[in-house]
Amino acid sequence: MDRGWWWKFGVIVAVTLGTVWFLVPTYYSLAVLDRAERNNLAVLQERLPAWAPPAKYRLNLGLDLQGGIHMVMRVDTKTALQKRTERRGQQIVRYITQDKKLGELKADSNPERLTLTLTAADPATMDAIEKEVLTTFNDFTKVSREGATLTLAPDESQTSFFRGEAVDQAMLVIRNRIDKWGVAELDVRKMGTDSIQISLPGRSDPEQAKELVGTTAQLEFRMVDDTNPGFFQQMLEKTPPPENSNITVTSEEGFPQLQGPNREAMLGYVKDKVPEAREVLLECVANPLKKNECLSYRTYLVEKESPLTGESLSSADARFSELNEPEVNITFDAAGAREFERLTEAGTGRRMAIILDDYVQSAPRINEKIAGGSARITMGNPGGKSREEWFSEAQTLALVLKAGALPAPVTTGEIRQVGASMGDELIRKGSLAAIVGLALVVAFMALYYKGAGLIADAALLLNGLLILAGLAIFNATLTLPGIAGFVLTLGVAVDANVLINERIREELSHGKTARQAVDQGYDRAFWTIFDSHVTALIAGFILFATGTGPIRGFATTLIVGLIASLYTSIVVTRTITTYFVHGRNAQTVSV
Amino acid sequence: MQLIKNKTNIDFIGKRKIAVYISTLVNLAILVGIAVFGFNFGVDFAGGTVVELKFKSAISPAEVRKRAEDGGLHDVSVQGIGSSDENTFLLRMGGVTQLTEQNAETAKASLQSLGSVSNVYADLSNGIINFRSASTLAPQAIKAAVEKAGTGVQEVRELGSAQGGSGFDYQVVASGMADKVFSALSQGQASPDFEQRRVDYVGPQVGKQLRNRGIMALVYAMFAILVYVAFRFDFKFGPGALLAMLHDVVMVAGFYLVSRREFNLTSIAALLTIVGYSVNDTIVIYDRIREDMNKYQGKPLAEVINIAINDTLGRTILTSGTTALSLVGLLIFGVGEIWDFAAAMLVGILVGTYSSVYIASPLTIWLDERAAAREGKAPLDPKTA
Repeated sequence: MDRGWWWKFGVIVAVTLGTVWFLVPTYYSLAVLDRAERNNLAVLQERLPAWAPPAKYRLNLGLDLQGGIHMVMRVDTKTALQKRTERRGQQIVRYITQDKKLGELKADSNPERLTLTLTAADPATMDAIEKEVLTTFNDFTKVSREGATLTLAPDESQTSFFRGEAVDQAMLVIRNRIDKWGVAELDVRKMGTDSIQISLPGRSDPEQAKELVGTTAQLEFRMVDDTNPGFFQQMLEKTPPPENSNITVTSEEGFPQLQGPNREAMLGYVKDKVPEAREVLLECVANPLKKNECLSYRTYLVEKESPLTGESLSSADARFSELNEPEVNITFDAAGAREFERLTEAGTGRRMAIILDDYVQSAPRINEKIAGGSARITMGNPGGKSREEWFSEAQTLALVLKAGALPAPVTTGEIRQVGASMGDELIRKGSLAAIVGLALVVAFMALYYKGAGLIADAALLLNGLLILAGLAIFNATLTLPGIAGFVLTLGVAVDANVLINERIREELSHGKTARQAVDQGYDRAFWTIFDSHVTALIAGFILFATGTGPIRGFATTLIVGLIASLYTSIVVTRTITTYFVHGRNAQTVSV
Repeated sequence: MQLIKNKTNIDFIGKRKIAVYISTLVNLAILVGIAVFGFNFGVDFAGGTVVELKFKSAISPAEVRKRAEDGGLHDVSVQGIGSSDENTFLLRMGGVTQLTEQNAETAKASLQSLGSVSNVYADLSNGIINFRSASTLAPQAIKAAVEKAGTGVQEVRELGSAQGGSGFDYQVVASGMADKVFSALSQGQASPDFEQRRVDYVGPQVGKQLRNRGIMALVYAMFAILVYVAFRFDFKFGPGALLAMLHDVVMVAGFYLVSRREFNLTSIAALLTIVGYSVNDTIVIYDRIREDMNKYQGKPLAEVINIAINDTLGRTILTSGTTALSLVGLLIFGVGEIWDFAAAMLVGILVGTYSSVYIASPLTIWLDERAAAREGKAPLDPKTA
């Protein structure tokens, strides 16, 4: 064998070994770990041998295979919109009667059609009022005007922006809540215009799930206890945290706090060490790459009493200040404003924690007493962040405040619960079906094409491994339709080899030598294979882009499979076959 | 071993007219059938609630139905699944929440009897009743009022004081149909003698959204493939490939229509796979036609196509055969959705092979003949001369 062949086979062997290597975490998670621990990445990482790839590169089992809950929550944007329309109505009335003093005005809203009706006490003032309202409140458009009555409807673009925001708020709340439940492999994503899709693998109580995500978000403002700044440091010195919990002391604005990657370990450590009337709450430090995940958690020692809740908040918006720094403007209603004034007066210099569903979202320091019910939260030093990132933090905080204050209720659009026992049964049957299909094809190829058939079989097995490894690398989820897709892709991969072998046979029957027949067979079949794979890939990509849930799983398998099939049929079998006729100088070809 | 002799000489093209007529008839019949009978839409698309119950002791479907009716569930279908000693049943019914137009009206009247309640607005698609009250109300009282009207209550939300006008806003979330099933069947029993194993629960809105997206995916895929074929081959090959795809999709839809198998998201996946596979098969033949057009220059296209189809007959049958072979396992051991998928794929593979010979190629010939005729006539047309 000369150098060229060594090199070519070397690449193929390296790819094959890499494929097997990437399947190690998958093998461990499915065959070595108990079912209860299957979804726990940390446990998997611990059990994996040192030479294996990281645990995250493993094939997940879809809900339909391992059981769990799939739910679609619908965000009631209509109620949220109605509330907003009403609020705008009150603002308009205040502006016209108090600021502009154009006359008495009354606002009513129609809950069904989301329109706003303004009625002036004195019809003569209505012309001036209409003009003022339409220019100042341009997020509303005029529907009709009858004497002293003006009907307005929210502007279309404003409405759709608001709807999107309501869904984002709901997603934030749902993520917070489920995170508290400790579900690994949680998947929360937007679906359509007003729905949120949630997958909870390994969970079995739909009622509990519904309750968890369905209730209104709870926003609170509580004072941070900074009277003893060294509290956490002392705690750490007194009783060291459990080993490998990775809890360390960090500092925020000079206040020491604990930070650690594991929520349960953090809570377990601080439990029973908190002074009376105080509570330790966590803040989630989001993974910059995957906003869905908490990279670690930080502690805050806060007062138990929550004097101010989201109910008192009437608006929150992110904007740039006069100094061109991002800030969040918040406004309280009358009662809230009084409470806020009292709190800020008593707590000047301290920090106030903004808490959504028991998670600290932000803890700005109070610089002075704030009266009048409206306050600014300045976003602090950017610290190496870009202006956009800096501003987007302000937007997130505004979103959090609104999520707690202005609930767009969510209702259950769809719940599917798949029992785990059923999942096991399906896995068994699905794999058996795949193996039988594969065995039939392998037997047929070997019988029909003899030598070339055996090469095709080897390529087919490699193809199967490549698909699984590919899915593992993309951290994809294997679903029931995915198994069907797997089998089908193997069928299509065999197609490619059939095309080539038939072509070689044809060339041989035209009297070509083995060398010529193999070369031309591969050359001529190449474009056919390429075209047929590309068209199937087009279908696969469109399926992926538009599909949801199990369809996506199917599409992923199809795409990975087609690419693997192109590689095995064009590179692998060609190298092996040409090696026999060129490298070993065979005069005949077994096809 | 060889399945097909090297030199077949079957006159495929000569019989193309009969084939096209038959195919057109079958396709039309399927389309009419879909319009008249419709698909057996699964919960995915139709919306509704499916509950799987496993009883602890032996019970017949008729008894389950009777218990459901006694408990106040009238239009529920009961279907036994698995072997009869498993005592497992699927109960299906329309609707997701217990809030219907009718009981929303009764609930409204019932709420208004609580005092000065205004702005009662029932959002049926979300299963929510919104209303405003002049004074604060106890959530228990609201819950009792709505439940008296015959609607289960999942949650009563206090939305706080009203911003427009005066009063307090409340929101009542109706419970789902699954709760109703559970309470209907456990009526008169100390503890339920069954276990709720699965709840599938899809709102009509979500269902419609899913269906429309599925159909759009099909349309996008076909269009993208058409563009690719027109670009890689020749414009006159494009329409043939597209028509063959449509033909195959309709035929597989016909499978779902006639077999009454549930048409759901997986079925859309099957249809899309057929689109990909159908064009795959067509391209193998097109490729050969293109090659033979260079080889036999001067021969009429119909004849060249016939030669190409005959030459590729072996590999056409083999490629379809091996793909079908890989489905055999799924057909033998597959259950439920998997079996449906495999059966639909099998139909698709068979018609896909047929359509690439009898649908795609004839249209290409026809387009070619028309183009030739137009060129021949062109000088006579004063406008183009």
